[in-house]
Amino acid sequence: MSAPLITVLNGGTQTTVQDSGRPGYRHLGIPRSGAADRLSFAIANHLVGNEWATPALECALGGLHLRFERKTLIAISGAQMWAQVQGMNVDTNRAVEVEAGDILTLSYARAGCRSYIAVAGGLQATEFLESVSTYLPASLGGIEGRALKAGDTLYSLNAVSQGARTLPTGYAPHLSGHAVLRASSGPEFDLLSAESRRYLFTTPFIATPATDRMGSRLRGDRIATDKSFAMTSSPLLPGTLQCPPDGRPILALADGHCTGGYARGLHVIQADQWLLGQIAPGMKISFRRCFDAEAPDILQTRNAVWSTLIPDFSF
Amino acid sequence: MNDLHPDIRAYGDHAVLVEWGADGFDADISDRVHALAARLRKKKAFIEVMPGYDSLVASFDGAQMNAASARRRIKDAIVREARSETAVDGRLVEIPVSYGGADGPDLYAMADRIGKSPEAVLALHTGRDYRVCMMGFIPGFAFLSDVDPLLQHPRHATPRAVVPAGSVGIANWQTGIYGLESPGGWQIIGRTDVAMFDADRDRPFYVEAGDRIRFVAQ
Repeated sequence: MSAPLITVLNGGTQTTVQDSGRPGYRHLGIPRSGAADRLSFAIANHLVGNEWATPALECALGGLHLRFERKTLIAISGAQMWAQVQGMNVDTNRAVEVEAGDILTLSYARAGCRSYIAVAGGLQATEFLESVSTYLPASLGGIEGRALKAGDTLYSLNAVSQGARTLPTGYAPHLSGHAVLRASSGPEFDLLSAESRRYLFTTPFIATPATDRMGSRLRGDRIATDKSFAMTSSPLLPGTLQCPPDGRPILALADGHCTGGYARGLHVIQADQWLLGQIAPGMKISFRRCFDAEAPDILQTRNAVWSTLIPDFSF
Repeated sequence: MNDLHPDIRAYGDHAVLVEWGADGFDADISDRVHALAARLRKKKAFIEVMPGYDSLVASFDGAQMNAASARRRIKDAIVREARSETAVDGRLVEIPVSYGGADGPDLYAMADRIGKSPEAVLALHTGRDYRVCMMGFIPGFAFLSDVDPLLQHPRHATPRAVVPAGSVGIANWQTGIYGLESPGGWQIIGRTDVAMFDADRDRPFYVEAGDRIRFVAQ
């Protein structure tokens, strides 16, 4: 093995190695995992000349300190975090050269939740079912299946890099303290009370501290099912809002459980699922109703815009 | 809704839900769910094919397929399935279980409530083979078919923060095995030392949906 590329000085709140995930195994209880915000992850990789799905770091909420042991090209995308190299501010959404010995620090997330740090050539990590995505509950993938901690060393994957690239002005996704997610009604939408059905698409919710890669517990107007509704455990997808009897819905994210026993109230459209990865505790969440006929057009337009810039990328 | 004509409807913009709607456990419907899952998986047109007890969810990439054609493909597979004589008869897997004590903290209370001895509860639980109906919610968690009516108990009102890996539990008519340590609300009556999920093993999943399970008291 060659010399390490990165030494972790502080792992931050929760930093993991992620790629595009391991789809196709939910029937075995294995969630897709992968970058919670697929778009920002792809942008970071693109800027350093990598293929978009190359393994990179996902840093939730900040606090990450890294020392580079060799000269390399990096890019940071996603949540708005104050990033510095050797104490000097560096731009996000731009490729930056770092020298051997340089220290990168990410402070806290001012808007959004997760930053992606890509390095030219990608990062080595443990593979499970064709993906190196870290899935913390089962200690799969990544670096020993866990979040990074001080003293960890990371190695380059030495994948092909095309060199620094730029993001055209206006392309960087704008993240604010209010995420508006377009969604369609879920399978059990009609079993919610009439009042709840109205609330779901009109009143904002707040993401509680019970927010991680698995899901986000929301606070807001209580969403109740009609009468005493008991459901058999059933298959569940990321982006589904489950509505348990206590009235506080749970939004399933990238590492979300593969089955659930609560009413599936609504489901975020494919084109907006990347934004689920930027939900931070305290953030305001609104759902806008998206009708069946519009969703394919939204997805097609979004895919067309981004795949022109980032080869092979799709939402 | 009946066996041949389940309800097929949208689950968001990139998945379809097929629902037979059984009242409790229905072995015949469970067979149909798994036969359809096997057929859809063979065709590789869907990203996730997730069988449930009396339903199935198939997700797709909205850029590759639209909802109408997804529904058509599923309808077509159901009709073909009904014509063929696919018998779903998975492997029979024996699972050794240590019942009661620290491994099964809810066994004695359950026996008390139904006025039976712990041995009788154990005999009822090991007295029939179960079908693995669904895997999830965590890796290796096996959702099994129905328990004896006497054993049917609701989940705990407040879930335990930690249920050890291998725990065997009951929730209403369902019984199941926890693949990994996790929080959980099921009535825990025993525990197996068999690792239901081990990423380092050639076959990470000890059982798969469609298999049958026989519990053997240790």
